[in-house]
Amino acid sequence: MNPNWAEENLQTIRTLMERSALYRRALAPIMLFVGVVGILAATAGVIFQLDLPLVFGVLWLGAAIVAIAGAFFIIRRQALKDKEPIWSPPTRRVAQTLFPPLTAGMILGVIFTLLPTTGFVDFTLLLPFLWALFYGCALHSAGFFMARGVKWFGWVYIVSASVILCVLFVANPSFDISGHWLMGFFFGVLHLAYGAYLYLTEKRKNAA
Amino acid sequence: MNPEPFSQLDRVIHEKGRLAIMSMLAASPELSFTELRDALGMTDGNLTTHIRALQEEGYVSVAKSYQNNRPLTTCSLTAPGRKAFAEYINLLEQIVRQNKPR
Repeated sequence: MNPNWAEENLQTIRTLMERSALYRRALAPIMLFVGVVGILAATAGVIFQLDLPLVFGVLWLGAAIVAIAGAFFIIRRQALKDKEPIWSPPTRRVAQTLFPPLTAGMILGVIFTLLPTTGFVDFTLLLPFLWALFYGCALHSAGFFMARGVKWFGWVYIVSASVILCVLFVANPSFDISGHWLMGFFFGVLHLAYGAYLYLTEKRKNAA
Repeated sequence: MNPEPFSQLDRVIHEKGRLAIMSMLAASPELSFTELRDALGMTDGNLTTHIRALQEEGYVSVAKSYQNNRPLTTCSLTAPGRKAFAEYINLLEQIVRQNKPR
């Protein structure tokens, strides 16, 4: 018998318990909320032409704060409804995995929005890809403690950001597109699509 | 190695499928049959068999209701089930401690 079987059993139990925890049940409304925030921010950015790097950064970092606060509120409401602690070990584990890539993305965002504009690089076009890649990595890490779909959702960000980046910068270096459109796609459309998918599939599963 | 903790392990829980079901239910007030099936990648028949075994032991309770005019089966741990699961974890931890090199 493998002498480590007991330890492996404990690890399996831990992983399964984490997958079953609170934030998993609140995932669909969180995704829909974050998607709506992304669409609203992108619409505001395009309509009011908020294209200066500093304004762009402030708008989207502000949108991120609103999205995180909203997600926290949704989880808190779910926790109260189910009479569960909000800051449980599984929640802490997910927060720990999300923290490093999201912090790195935020720091780069702040640096790029504060840098003086140069004629060579438009940071408002570069930031959406960087943020999407960091966010994809964060989701992929968190996916080890959540429903399996989250890991795939992380890959959607990593692959779509890489592909669009290659197509836009390599195949067509002279493209002209607002960074808000890209942000609206990555953080609005993709969240809405995943939230709608979760909402519809969970409803169907629960009714089965 | 002291074989005592191993011989005390609850044989009903000490099976891969049933242990997975107990672990999922220990972290959630209740889960639907389909949530358990999808999360654990089990077939309907396999999951039903394991849940029945746990139900017969008094570890899991099964409730049947309707949602949107469709049947909904939900499972949850009973108090004895929660106690047995906690004891099982304690024994595993004892075994891990025994196996640790000193």
